[in-house]
This record gives sequence, C-alpha cells and structure tokens, in this order.
Amino acid sequence: MSDDKSQGSTSHEAWGSRIGLILAMAGNAVGLGNFLRFPRQAAVNGGGSFMITYFIALLLLGIPLMWIEWGVGRNGGRFRKGHLPGMFAAIWKHPAAKYLGVIGMIIPLTVMIYYTYIESWTLAFSYFSITKDYWGNTTQEAMVGYLQTYQGIAPGSSHMTALGFFLVTLAINIWVLSRGISGGIEKLARIGMPILFVFAVILAVVVLFLPPGPGGETAWQGLQFIYNPDFSRLDEPGVWLASAGQIFFTLSVGMGSLQAYASYLSKKDDIALNGIATAATNETAEVILGGTIAIPAAVVFFGVTGAMAVAQSGSFNLGFATMPVVFQQLPLGNVLGFMWFALLFFAGITSSVAMLTPIVAFFREEFGFKREIVAWSFGLVALLFGLMNIFWLEYGFLDEWDYWAGTFGLVLLAVTETVLFMWVFKPENAWASIHQGADIQIPKIFKFVMTYVTPVYLLFILGWWGFQDAIPILTNEKAAGGGVLTPEMHPYVTGARLIIVGFAVIFAFLVRIAWKRNKYDDRAGFVEVDQSGRTTV
Amino acid sequence: MTTGAIIFMALSWTFVLGLVSWAYYRLLTHKKHHDPDGIGPAAPPEAAAKKNYN
Repeated sequence: MSDDKSQGSTSHEAWGSRIGLILAMAGNAVGLGNFLRFPRQAAVNGGGSFMITYFIALLLLGIPLMWIEWGVGRNGGRFRKGHLPGMFAAIWKHPAAKYLGVIGMIIPLTVMIYYTYIESWTLAFSYFSITKDYWGNTTQEAMVGYLQTYQGIAPGSSHMTALGFFLVTLAINIWVLSRGISGGIEKLARIGMPILFVFAVILAVVVLFLPPGPGGETAWQGLQFIYNPDFSRLDEPGVWLASAGQIFFTLSVGMGSLQAYASYLSKKDDIALNGIATAATNETAEVILGGTIAIPAAVVFFGVTGAMAVAQSGSFNLGFATMPVVFQQLPLGNVLGFMWFALLFFAGITSSVAMLTPIVAFFREEFGFKREIVAWSFGLVALLFGLMNIFWLEYGFLDEWDYWAGTFGLVLLAVTETVLFMWVFKPENAWASIHQGADIQIPKIFKFVMTYVTPVYLLFILGWWGFQDAIPILTNEKAAGGGVLTPEMHPYVTGARLIIVGFAVIFAFLVRIAWKRNKYDDRAGFVEVDQSGRTTV
Repeated sequence: MTTGAIIFMALSWTFVLGLVSWAYYRLLTHKKHHDPDGIGPAAPPEAAAKKNYN
C-alpha cells in the first residue's frame, strides 16, 4: 500500500474509473452555492436577464476555464506534480513560476478550513431536522435566532454544539482524504453524488407540487420569480459581474483542486469530454435542481415579496432559516428537512475533500511524506484555524477569509493560470495538450475564446472587484461580509489577513526548500515520468 | 407563469439538459478508442495525434 519514495518521486495515484473521475470532479464543483447562492443570485439580478448573462459567462468563462484547469493539471501530472507550484513550473521555465503557484496552495487550504465549518452546519441541521430539534421556531426571525444560538453568536449561547459538529465533519473529511484518490475521494463521490441527486430530485418534485400557500402563490410563481425576463437590467454591469461570479464559484475553478484531480490522469486519457461532462453535471445540479427548490418553496410560503426579502437577506438565511420554516409546515417535514441538509452536506463534503488534495500532493511528491500523515497533520492545522472561525465568527473573521481567499483569490489564480497556460505555454501547445487523448474535437472558436476572451473577461472582473470591493475592504472602509466594520472587529480582521499572509510566506519557504532538496533546475524543467506504470492506491 | 418566464425557463433547461445528455451519451456510447482503464481512450484521435505539443 505504501508507495512513498524520496526525492519527489512518489508513485502516482490514479482514478479507478472514468465515471468515478467525473463524479469526483462534479462533486468538487457541485457545492453549497448550487443550491443556496444560485437561486438567490438569479432572483435578485433580474431573473431572465441574469440567465442570459449566466449562460454567456458559462460559455466564455466557465467551460474554457474548466478545460484550462484540466489541461494545467494533466500537464503537471506528466511530471508527477499534483500541486500548482509544480504545475506552473512545468509550464513556465522561470524561477518565479513556482512562487506564483503558491497562490494555489493558500487558497484551497484557507477555503477548506472555513468551508468545512459551514459544511458542519449542514450536518448539524440534518440531525436537528430528523430529531425535530428546531420544531416550534415557525417564523423566519425565530429560525435566524436558532441558527445564531447554534453558531454561539446569540447572547448567552455556547459554541460547543457547533464545535462538536465541526470536529465530526473535519474528521470525516480527513479520513476520506487519507484513504487516497481511488480508495477515498472516488468512493465518496460514487456514494455521495447519487444520494445528492436523488434527494434533490425528490425535493424539487415535492416543491413543484406544493399546494398554494397562505397567499395563494404556487411554486410555478416561484419559478417565474427566477426566470422572469427583465431585459432592462442587461445594461447593468452588476448583473454581468454577478453571473460571472456565480459561474466562477459554481464550477470551483481558481481553487487548485480541479488541477490536482486532473494530475492523476495520463496523457492518453481524455480531458476534453470529461471537462464538459463535469461542467454539464454541475449545471444540472444548479439550474435544474438548485433553481427549483429554495426560492420556489419560499415563494409558496412567504409570497413573492417575502421571498425577495429572504433572497436579499443572504444565502444562509435562505438555507438555514427559511427552508426549516417551510419544512415545519409540510407532512414528513422532518424527513424532507433531513434530505435538504443531507444533500447540502454531500454537496459540501465532495468539494471540501478536494481542497486539501493539492496540499497532500505537495508534501507526498516533494518531501516523500505518507499521505495519511499529511492528511491528519493538516487536519490538525484545519482544527486550529477552524476554531478561530468558530469563536470569531461574529467579528468578521470568516467573512474576511471568504473574501480574500474564496472570492478575490479565485479570480487571481484563474487569471494567473490562464495567462501562463494560454500565453506563456502558447495557445498551440495548450490546444494540443487539451486534445491529447481527447474523445471529442473542441470547436476551434474556443481556442480564440481561451486565448483572448477568457483572460480579458477575468482581468475585467479582477479589476472591477478590486476597485469596488478589495480596496475599500483593505482600507477598512467596509466589512468583507457587507455592512460597517466596527472598531472591535479590527483586530480580528487584521489577524485574518495576517494569517493568510503567513500561509503565503510558509508555503513559499517550503516550495523553496522542496526545489533545493530535489535539485530542480527552474530553467531546465522537470523530467517527464513514465505514466505507464500507474498504480491504483 | 408569464410566457416570457416559460420561454426563458424552457430555453435554460433545454440547454442544460441537452448539454448533459450529449456529454453522457458520448461518454457511455461513443467508445471509438480502446479504453483499458475505463478513464479515457488509450490512443488519441487522429486530429490530436498529428500534433505534438512537446
């Protein structure tokens, strides 16, 4: 079982099957955002107008980035590099390349820590649903209070319950990760993704056939709320940015995890069809299922005006306050509530296990550590910093990480990898690389899109968000989670930023040590590894 | 639902379901290459084989 060797030459893991690979990739992409963020964004950004800009962003940004990330990852795998510093160094033979890749180490680690904490809420609420623990909180305000009590931010409440569920969730994540690609992540995807889709389909059907609510509204009016074509909003930059941002988050691009998964493929394997299949699976979960559950259910029980207020109050209120109120009014509501939060849990865990994959790959490949040791060690790191997210939630600590790593950082990494893969590596090489072993021929227009349109689109988003949000947040003019940054939040917010900077410094230092230890020559590049002897671990 | 909303929903769902159906149809039925490990073709298609990016 143990296959670790020294000098950056651990034998590579591999996927057990093509469908397992696609389920794992789709599991990585399908997350909480598909069921909570998407319907909210569609509802508050003009419905039909949002859908037009959303599909344009999917074609010009999402799918091209999906191919770019699969390409970057699979190319890294040729040199047995499952981490961004190695993948970037394989593309750009320059000493700076490996340090640019450090972005792809900081982001997944930071996001994994707070994402696992949010994921633990879904596990907790699955339990609270089946045991009817929140039954009796029949208004939106009461459920918000229940959620805040669970989070330990309501006056007189304790963090202990949230801490307990976080520990359990983290342990499951690390255990799966320690089992490896084929034995852990792929098996989780093979179990979790079908459950997720079955639960989502059942809930969508239940919502669609709900009887009219107190105000006479039906779920179909909820769908109208999402799909209503309001063309007057097409000229608003905010709508275009919102849809581009949603495409970005929903496909889990700019994270470093897709690339790590793709590095376990050989150059004879297809990535063109696999990439589009992954994106299409994610879109089914998002547009067909995600759009049919939360907002339509909210419209039935709270009316269009109430649902709009719910949507504007945020994704978490929609998922953790509005939906439990709805479930309490339905027959078998506790079972339906369990299914809702369980599907969110599976959506979350199939994403969070992916996030530490590049970190594990780095320590295995460059330092020869055993996968289990790296996984459990970083489990402890996640626990330590996860505690900060739990205890300092009310001071904006999590929001700060979510902005810099989970929002701005994703676009920064995507811009970097797109420029490196399409411009430095050259479009011809990138195009041929994506088509090696391909089952389909990608329409040639996408070569132009990936070379020019996608990077310009990304740079525009980065610039806009930088001007609109990053600078005001950095200068403490506004809080990363929205609203005003109070003086008592300042130390926590500054601490959150310093920790991210600390992660960057530590990873850059480790990359430097790894390159020296393994005697890599930045200008000569890596030696290609024979992939014929892949072993499934 | 208004006609406009129905049209937008129908177009959105058709696009997504069409894309996913096509992708999985190709994945499951169009095995034009030998596929020993189940992950993908062992030999690249002709168009790609003519190119060597390295």
